[in-house]
This record gives sequence, structure tokens and C-alpha cells, in this order.
Amino acid sequence: MTDGPNSIDRRRFLKVLGVTGAGAAAISACGIGPEPTEKLIPYLIPPEDQIPGTATYYASTCRECAAGCGIHVRVREGRAVKIEGNPESPINSGRLCARGQAAPQGVYNPDRVTGPMVRNTAGGFDSITWDDAISRVQGKLTAARGHGIVFLTGADASSFGDLVDDWMRQVGGRRVSYEAFGFDALRAGNRLAFGTAAVPSYDFANAKYVLSFGADFLDTWLSPVSFQNGFSRAHAFDGSRDGSMAKFVFVGPRMSLTGMNADEWVAALPGTEGVLALAMAQVIVSRRLAAVPTDAGRLAALLADHTPAKVAAITGLDEKLIVRLATEFAAAKGGLAVAGGMAAQYANGADIVAAVNILNYVAGAVGKLVKFGPDLAVGETGTFSDFARLTADMAGGRVALLFVHGTNPAHSLPGAFTQGLAKVGYKVSFASFMDETAAAADLILPDLHPLEQWNDSRPRAGIYALQQPTMQPVFPETRQSGDVVLKIMGRPGTYRDHLQGRWRELQRRFGAGKSFEQFWMDALQHGGVYGDAPARPVRLAEGASRIAPAPAAPTGGDQTVVVFPHPVLHDGRGANKPWLQELPDPVSKIAWHGWVEVHPETAKRWDLATGDFLLLKSAFGAVKAPVWITASVRPDVLAVPTGHGHAAYGRYAKDRSFNAFELLGADANAYGGRTFAVGATATKTGEHRKIVTTEGSARERGEGSVETLTLARAKSLGAADHPFHHEETPEYAKESVEWWGERQFEQAELGNYAGEQPRWGLAVDLSKCTGCSACVTACYAENNLATVGEELMMRGREMSWLRLERYWLTDAEGHPQGAVNSPMMCQQCGNAPCEPVCPVYAAYHTPDGLNGQVYNRCVGTRYCSNNCPYKVRYFNWYNYAERGGEWEAWPEPLSMLLNPDVTVRERGVMEKCTFCVQRIRGAQNKARLEDRNVRDGEIVPACAQSCPSEAIVFGDLHDRNSEVYKLAGNPRGYHVLAGLNTKPAVTYLARVVSNG
Amino acid sequence: MADGMTRVTYDYVTRTIARTLGNPGRGYFLLLGAAVALLAIGIVTLLFLLRYGLGLAGYSHPVYWAVFITCFVFWVGIAHSGTLISAILFLFRSGWRTAVYRTAEAMTVFAVMTAGLFPLIHIGRQWYFYWLIPYPNERGLWPNFKSPLIWDEFAIGTYFTVSTVFLIMGLIPDIAAVRDLATGWRKKLYTLCSVGWRGTNEEWRHYTRGYLYLAALATPLVLSVHSVVSWDFAMAIVPGWHATIFAPYFVAGAIYSGCAMVITLLVPIRKLFQLEELITVKHFENLSKLCLLTGSIVGYAYVCEYFIAWFSGNPTERAAFWYRAFGPYWWATWTMLICNAFLPLLLWVKKIRTNLTALFVISIFVNIGMWFERYVIIVVSLAGEPHTPWTNAVYNPTWADWGIMAGSFGWFFMWFLLFVKNFPAVSIAEVKEVLAPPKRVAAKGGAHA
Repeated sequence: MTDGPNSIDRRRFLKVLGVTGAGAAAISACGIGPEPTEKLIPYLIPPEDQIPGTATYYASTCRECAAGCGIHVRVREGRAVKIEGNPESPINSGRLCARGQAAPQGVYNPDRVTGPMVRNTAGGFDSITWDDAISRVQGKLTAARGHGIVFLTGADASSFGDLVDDWMRQVGGRRVSYEAFGFDALRAGNRLAFGTAAVPSYDFANAKYVLSFGADFLDTWLSPVSFQNGFSRAHAFDGSRDGSMAKFVFVGPRMSLTGMNADEWVAALPGTEGVLALAMAQVIVSRRLAAVPTDAGRLAALLADHTPAKVAAITGLDEKLIVRLATEFAAAKGGLAVAGGMAAQYANGADIVAAVNILNYVAGAVGKLVKFGPDLAVGETGTFSDFARLTADMAGGRVALLFVHGTNPAHSLPGAFTQGLAKVGYKVSFASFMDETAAAADLILPDLHPLEQWNDSRPRAGIYALQQPTMQPVFPETRQSGDVVLKIMGRPGTYRDHLQGRWRELQRRFGAGKSFEQFWMDALQHGGVYGDAPARPVRLAEGASRIAPAPAAPTGGDQTVVVFPHPVLHDGRGANKPWLQELPDPVSKIAWHGWVEVHPETAKRWDLATGDFLLLKSAFGAVKAPVWITASVRPDVLAVPTGHGHAAYGRYAKDRSFNAFELLGADANAYGGRTFAVGATATKTGEHRKIVTTEGSARERGEGSVETLTLARAKSLGAADHPFHHEETPEYAKESVEWWGERQFEQAELGNYAGEQPRWGLAVDLSKCTGCSACVTACYAENNLATVGEELMMRGREMSWLRLERYWLTDAEGHPQGAVNSPMMCQQCGNAPCEPVCPVYAAYHTPDGLNGQVYNRCVGTRYCSNNCPYKVRYFNWYNYAERGGEWEAWPEPLSMLLNPDVTVRERGVMEKCTFCVQRIRGAQNKARLEDRNVRDGEIVPACAQSCPSEAIVFGDLHDRNSEVYKLAGNPRGYHVLAGLNTKPAVTYLARVVSNG
Repeated sequence: MADGMTRVTYDYVTRTIARTLGNPGRGYFLLLGAAVALLAIGIVTLLFLLRYGLGLAGYSHPVYWAVFITCFVFWVGIAHSGTLISAILFLFRSGWRTAVYRTAEAMTVFAVMTAGLFPLIHIGRQWYFYWLIPYPNERGLWPNFKSPLIWDEFAIGTYFTVSTVFLIMGLIPDIAAVRDLATGWRKKLYTLCSVGWRGTNEEWRHYTRGYLYLAALATPLVLSVHSVVSWDFAMAIVPGWHATIFAPYFVAGAIYSGCAMVITLLVPIRKLFQLEELITVKHFENLSKLCLLTGSIVGYAYVCEYFIAWFSGNPTERAAFWYRAFGPYWWATWTMLICNAFLPLLLWVKKIRTNLTALFVISIFVNIGMWFERYVIIVVSLAGEPHTPWTNAVYNPTWADWGIMAGSFGWFFMWFLLFVKNFPAVSIAEVKEVLAPPKRVAAKGGAHA
């Protein structure tokens, strides 16, 4: 080493390091300046199956609801970071909803129960060991034998459920299953009409006309992803298809997410859906509009009682409308009517379902579009009346030992169940979260999250879906309930062994000629085995002619209140996931809080403004709810979502808003289900609250944001027609603009998107988009978007790169008839206004036509956002990643779900949609390694990947064979704000309105 | 002094102005204390902003520029009348400017100093502000010269340099004059600041040539600086910003607000420093005529904006201006219209024009109105962004906005107060230039003291 002045010896190096280090430490201690660089520690012994920086995908099954969608879990460095649909699954065909996308926020939830706990004398919980916990349960089991042992589960059609059944038989107990929004009416209605309580599968994809009586099949009903995928195939406009676009009519007192996708909204009086269906059947039969099966003759008396004239008076609808609907339904030769959701939750719900079944039957849909045989698993779960009996047993002190797994009735039955719980001798909960039921338990044996455990499920007859651990448990002291039950039972082996034992039976049926190992590995790789169940013909049941769907007015108050499941929080289980809380409800666009829907006329009569509180008082309870004024509900109905109002369930859910379940009774009604429409009184309390809504003000001036076409006009369009084409440059300026453009291309080495480079583009078909918002949550998951919470959302600080703009469509009288939903993300303009104004080139044009945003270069002048006409740029006002900070978006261990491929943005920088540039670059790198070009369809941004209706297509606009190129040239295509000459890369395809 | 015609003689001028530099009284310290207290509020607010982020201010999507940029434009605007009065009126040989230009020029320098702080405070990562500055660096990165923000930097930088040099240069003979009267530390300070000025013919010859040259250099800046600032807005495509009228509209507004601010500052200074003989009602009347002229141009610009919005037939333009006048921020718009376009019409009346109390009150309203003009242009245009109906602005300023704004007033007044107590606030040399030369009376001693 030389001793010259420029040489760096150890002492000098340390001195400089010390001084600058101290300076940097002092600066960063004040919280100013860049975060200090963290050390990277390599694996000491690298795991063999993991390549750092390369993702592994595991096939599994989503357990966020009972639909059982197949999923692929993306695992990076041993942590699950993203969930996508499994294209092989016949349920969801590779698609996923917002709730499924949010599953990682369950596994990494900061409020998980981390180990077994027992209640102490002070009322709190003490941690104990598993051995201790298991011996306690065994002790209690012996004592409770003969005094009532009950195992309560959610809708669990799995090997675990079977294991529990075994166990309960062994100890003389019983298993009861409970779903807050069960499908009792559906099953009872099917029994009434067809003599079977099975829940059939519905073929939306091949329907020519869809009529929904309250069934929210796009958001909460049975299997929403599957139905949405099918529905969009039927309902989307496809110019090449004969008779394209199945008309969709929604009957119900309020417009749900499903309702707002209808071409026509029939706001019949609540509870009259059944008589309406019968009247339509009557029209079809009496006018011989369809080949009515012969046994329908038995219905003559029933139908004669329900002529359109009589029914018109009951439903409050025009007689002509009923006849028209019936005629259209029959004429479509492929009409599918479904009943559920709200219509199945009245006291006469079963009769309504039966009436709709009759309509399907006379129109010939049963067996063709309504298929018994491949029945849905929800038909096998317990009924609400079983559960009501359990509640009564509990209240009567006839339950000595209660196990609860996968359900939270203390939230959805706040009165009766909680009171009953107090009289149960010993309560054991397997909850992963401290929910209301777990909080009342004596012993908590925390289960693994579905992403961490072995299991299976049977979503539909013939389909056996597997669930495998995709990662090591986040909390090592949590244990799979299957293992715990086996241990308590004293059986050898693990739950995985038990599961494999059961799958050996399946091997005999599906794995002919394969060793079990082979069969098992195949099933794991594909997410399960997908067989077909043979169709089973059904005939009208004896009692079908005796149904009585006439509505009974709800008692208990002058106002009908309907309680409906929140599209993403559902019965409240989604409330502890900030992604779902921050996701604006697709209809109301309200986030982080509940609301009561009030029609403008009613609001005017009661002198209400949005945000004013109404006190709703039913015979069973009362809630205070802020008003959302909307024309999407009947004037004589108030509608309240569930989902909020938790008394426990973690920081994101607890003490937020109100619990709509409190309005409901706990008794089973005539058909053994729960009634969700109650009579109530409504009083203005005088209180007011700001509720977070992302909806724009009522200004109607933003032209060009969404476009619609009538069906007739859309059909008449030829390939060369471009009704939305804007002549962007006036004639006199053409020459000079072209000259300028050429010079630009010549001069700019970078940003020359006219050359060999691809030009990435999106096509969004508004005829397919339902507004379900799966894409939004997928974007949060893929791109590390921060959730900011209610307070900051009120100040317009949400970071959602992709927002769904919902514009009501109205009829001639101004009544809403559905809505157009437009996903609005960065348009990656070819001539982007954001780029020239950035003083530091943080916003710049990439050679492949993207509007790049260099987070590290951004100083945060925010000029780009001001100049963006689409307003799709979002600013980091705080450091949302600050450990322990007030606005921390990812408290430990939630931070583990961060996508390592995407930067977590610092405070003070602008961010926006990148078209998932990390996926583009990933695919390009892969193609380069394989010495080929990127294939069309190989790059799928998170939004497009998730979209259940396949409305979003991504690709290269310079590739003339690409799907996106074809869509971009579609006559329905238009660019938002094309008149500004921004040359966006996103082409929207106009919504086709079929009632025009 | 024996001259009965006027008390204002060369000697009187020197003594009166030198007296303003005497030991300050309690009132001065109270004012200075208030200014420093405001500044302290601003500094504490700034520390909070640096620690926690700009989220503390009221920003709400899509209102991404708000009070800070409003204040920036406000202070740059204030800065404009100084150079107008000192340079342009100098070139036009308006004698009346001599009594008021020094105050106006000091105001200019301090206002630019204040304005320059805002872009630094307002950016998201303040610690990287230097990335906006073009300097050769190891990353080989230059700022984007297409961005109006970079033009701004040059405009403001040039303006600050030239106006500071102009101010200091004009001060040299005056400092030399007070140097000769001062004692103690002031003597040392003035000796240093007067750079050896002796008042020889040669020095005066160089000085006046130089001054003229600088005045010629500063003159185009009066027009260019605020034009460039206006292009921050006019170059963007936001309806309500994107208008060719912006440069003259902003320059007129700037001079208007600057003149109003000069009146606001001069009325109390004249009273406190007993400069009634030097700064007369005539001066104020001239200033208010300037206000009347520029105010009318501003009023005309308002009319033009609304007319063009209507006349263009462009629905987004129409919507933007409808929102401006009748949307949720109507109160800001009408404050601006009343204060800027209607209230100053009172200045047509000579009685009001020559009533200093009335002038003072009107000037304060004009200041308020001009602040709101920028608020309306910036905040209301962004909030009402008509391209995207799905925008949902809920903008309201918070304590952080007001704190920084208060701090800016504190910062400005602190410098201003320190200046007027330590340097001649009225030009001694130039006031003498417009006085009638002393008559050589054949008396003992003469009157050339």
C-alpha cells in the first residue's frame, strides 16, 4: 500500500465512514432524508428448492368463501406474495375476485392469534403450550360426555369436516355448520319445486336471457367468479355471434353490484318476486310461448291465480311490463332465471325460489341451464334451523362443550348466540383471529391459515380441490386444526396422512393406472382432480302446485329494511383486511364504513343529507347508520350492508361503523332459514358523519369518459366504422403537426415508439366489465399499494392506481337502469402531458411507449399530476412504510406480503400504474433467455389476470396479430379524452346497452 | 432652515433620513418580535413537514398544488412593483419615484427571497431540491429544460440577482452619507458597505452610468419574470390554466399587488419615521393611479377569461369557469373579484385617492384579493378539473398550510424591518436630485451643510 495522499488506508476509511455515518445517522434520526441502507444477509445454507429472485407457484384452493376457486400462489423466498386464479380449475377458469386476492392479508394479518391461549381468572388470556391445551381439551371431553358436545363449523365440505363428523360420532356429540348468509331458501325452494334440496349449477355462459330475482350472482351468490365469467360470455357484446348479448333483467328492491349490470332494473315491491315469476310462467303457459313440459299442467290452478293483471297490483308493476318480460324470456329460447340473495331472504323466500323454479321449468331451462347433478357443495351444509336449535340448546344449558371452527356467529347473531355462549360449559375456538366468538371462548387453539395448511374441498359434485401449504407458518405456534383434532382423538399420524388416506379412494376413481404417489403429485400440481358429475333429470314435485309466494309485510315498524351482504366484506369476515376495507363498495363507492341506502324522494321527505344518521329500530335491535342517498333503491325500502360493526376481530375491523345483523331476528322462519328483511322505524338522530366515498360529485360534464351504444347501433357497425373516432388535428394544422411529429421521432433516440419496439396497450371492454373491483385489489397486491385508512381517504389520499368509475345509466324518466363501470388507470399516453413538465425526468417515455416513473428520481413537484387529464397519479404524502408510524400500511408481519419485484415507494414521490412493468420485463427476460420473442398473451398485468369477466386484454399494439391490436381496432373502441391528443395506449370498448 | 418656502432642503433630507436609523423604540421591537414569532411558527411547521411529510397540509387528490404555490406566486407578484418603480420609472424619468423606490426595491428583494422558499418547501423530497438545479454531476443527469419549473428557476434566480445588485448599488451613496453621521458599530458597518464612496465627480459619473445600465437590464425582467411564472400554469392543459392571456394577465396582477403592498408598507413607515415631508400625498396618489391602471387590466383579464370560456364553446372551459364562479369555492372567487376588480374602482375618486387611511385599507384588500386570485387559479382550477368527472376534491387548507404562510410573512417582515432600521429607507441622493438646488444666499455659513 502506498502512502500517497490519495490512498485510503484503513484508519482513514474508518474515519470517513464514522463521520459520514454519524452525519447520516443524525439526519435519518430526525426522519429526514433517505432511509439508511439495510444489510443483505445471504442464506448460510441456501434451501435447494429456492432460487433467490425467482418465484415458485403452488396450486391450491381459495377458502375465502365456499365457492372453492382454484388458485396459484406465488411464493418468493419462501413467502406467499400473490394469489392468482388457477386456469385449470373449472370453477373460476383462472380468475379471482377481490376477496380471493386479499387472502394474503389474512395469512400475514398483524392481529392473528399467534399461539394457544387459555382464559385466566381476570378475563384475559394466557399463553399455554400445545400439550397443555390438548390435555385440557381431553379433560373437558371426558367430563362433557353425555352433557352435550357440539362442533360448530362454517360451510366446510372438506376432509376436515368429515374428520370432525367422525370425531363427534366417537364422543357422542354433533357437528353443526353455520353460514351467516346460508342458502336455506334455495334448498327449501328446490325441495318444494323439484323434491330435491340440492343446489344445482347454473350455466350462465350459454344463457340467452338472464333474469335474476335478487340473486347477486356477480358478487356474493354461490360461486360469483364462476358465474361472472359465464355471465360475461353471455352478456358481452360480440358482433360476430348470432343474437349476441343476452339481455339481463334484475328484479329486486335495490340495485346491487349484480343489479347495476342489468340492462333493465325491475324494482318490484320486496317479497313479490315470487308472484312475479308465477305471473310470467302464467303468460308463457297460457300463450304457449315455450314447449311447456306436460306435467306443468298440474300448475294450472296456481298459475290461474297469478295472472299478470292480479300480480301487477301486488308487485306495483305495470301489467304490460310483466307480459313483455315473459315474452322476451320465452322468446330468447335460452332464458335462465335465478332466485337468491335478497329474494331468498324474505320470510317467503323458499316459495319465491320455488316460483322461479317453476318459471325456469315451464320455459324449459331446467336440465339445460339449470343442471342438477353437478350440484354445488353448499347444498350439503347444515341449515339455519339446525343452528337455531343449537342456540336454543346453548341457552338451555344443554351444551357442555362447544368447539367453533371457521365461523363467527357471535358477530352475525349478536344477541342470541352471545347470550347462549355464556351458558356453555366450556368453549374452544380454533380461530386464527380474535373474532367475537373467539373472544368469548375459554380456550383458543389457533388454526393455520388456509395458505399454510393441508386440506381439500368439494366445491361442486365431481370436483375435488386440493389445498397445500404454500409456505412455512408465519407463526410457528399455530397448528393445523386437523392435526390438533387427530391428537385430541389420540389417532396416530398427521392430518396430511389422514387427507392422503381419503384421497386413496379418489385414486381408485380418477387415477387409474397411476401409483398413489403419482396421482397425488398430479393432483397437487393441478390443484385437484376435476371430474364431471352426470346430470340428473328432475321433475315437478307433488307440492309444487301448492306454493304460496305471496308477500307478507314485515312487522315491527313502518319501514322495510333489507340487510344485504357486503360485496367484499361479506358477512364481516373481510373486515380485518385493509385492502378490502379500503376498496370502495362497487355500488356506493363507500369505503371503511357502512351506510343505509335511502332514495332521494324519501331523503327529501325526511330532510336527510348524505352522512346524516338514521336510527333504525327493529323488533330485535337497533343500529345507527349514516345515510347514502341513491336512486338505486326503492323509495319505500331502506337497505343496509353487513360486514362492519365488529366488537373484536383486530385493529382494522374493531369498533368501526355498525353491525347490521343487530336488526335481525335469530329464529328460523317457516322454511328453516333466516329472514333478512325486517320492519323497522327510522328516525333522524341529528348526528352527521363524513363518509368516505370515492364517487365524483354529481357534475355531469365529463364527456368522453364513458361511451355507450345501443344494441341495434352496435350490431349495425361494420369493421370500418369508428363512431368514436375523433379528428384530433384540425385540417389547417395537419401538415405542421405531422412535420413536428416526424422531427420528434427523428430526434428522439429514446421514446421512439414508432420503431421496432413494442407499444404496450390495453383494451378494456366495458360491455364485459361489471365493476366487481377484483382488478383493484389485484393491483394493490401486485404493486405494493399502501392502504391509507379512512381518515386519509376522506382527504382524498387513497393510492389506488386503478379506480373503477361508476356512471349510472338512466332511462327516459331519469331512473337508474344499471351502470357503466370504467376501470381508469394510467393511459400510458403516447403524447403524455405528464412527461414534459417533470423538471427532473422522473416521468419519462420508455422506448416501448410506457410512461415511466422513476421513483428514485422523483423529487415530488407533483406537476405531472396537475397536468394529467385522467388524474391517475397518486402521491405519497406520508411514509406509509414507516415502522410504527402513524400511517403505517404494513405493520409486521403484513409487510411480508410485499412483492419483492416492486419498489415500496418513499414519502414524497409520485406513483401510478406501470402496466405491471415488472411483469413485462420478467417476460422479456425470459424470452431473451429462451432466444425468442415475447408471445402474445404471455404478459398479463395483475388487473387483467384477475378480471373474472375477462374484460381487460394486454398486449403489443405493434403486433398485428395480437389480441389487443384487434380489439383496439374494434368499431366500439374509443380513447378517453381523445380530443386532448394524448394518444392513450388504453382503448375502451363502448358499453352496449341492450334496452335501447 | 431659514427658508420659509420649504423646509425640505438637502440638509433636511439627510438629517431626516439619517434619523430613521436612530435607536429603535419599543414599537419597533414589538413589530420585529411579532415578525420573528411568525417566522418561528413557520420554522416549526416546516420541521413537522420535513419529519412527517406534506400530508400534514391540506392537499387532496387532485389538488396537488395549493397554498404553498399560491404563496409563491403571491410573493413573486409582490416583488414586481419594486423593479417597476426603481427601473422603469427611472428610465421614464418620473421624479416622484425617488421618494418611494428604495422601500419598493427592498420589498422586491425580500419578497423574492420569500417566494424562493416555497418551491423548496412544497416539493415532496425537500432534501433532493438540488436535483432541480443544472450542475454537472457524476450521474450525467441534467434537469428537463422543457419543464416550466426549470424556466421558473432561471427567471426567479435572475430576478433575485439583478434586483439585489440594483438595490445594493443604489444604496452606496446613501450609506456613505449616513456613514459620515454614524458612530460606533454602525460606522464600521457603513464604512464597509459604502465601499469607499467619497462622492467625487468621477465616482458619480460612473455610478449614474452604471445605474442606468442596471435599470435597463432590470426593465425586461419586470415583464419576463412573471410571464415565466404564469407559464407554469399556461403551459399545462388544465382548464383555467391553459390560456394565452396568462403572461400579460399575471404581469399586470403582479404590479398591481406590488403597488398595493408598497402602499401598505409606506403608510406606516411614513408615519413612524415622520417622513411626511419627503413622502407626500402626491406620491401616494401616483401609486394609487398605478394601482388603478393595473387593477383595471386585471379586471379586464377576468372579463376576458370568462368571455373566452363562453365564446370558445369548449364545454370543459365553460365547466371550469362555471365551477369557479358558482362551485363550492365560489367564496374565494368572489372575494377575488370584489377585492381586485370592484373595490379599487373607488380610486377613481380623488378624495379617496388622497386619503391615506382609505388607501391603506384598500391596499390591504387588494393584497387579500390578489392572494385569492392565485388561490382561485391554482386550487379551484385543480379541484374543478372538468376533464375527469370522477374527481372528488375535498380540499381544505390545514394548520400546516397556514403555519408556512404565516412564517413567510414573518420572514418577509423580519428582513424588511431590519432593513428600514439599518439602511436608508428613502434614497437620500435621489430625493436631493429632484429638489430645487439650494440658492447661494450670501449669508454667513451658507446653506450647503
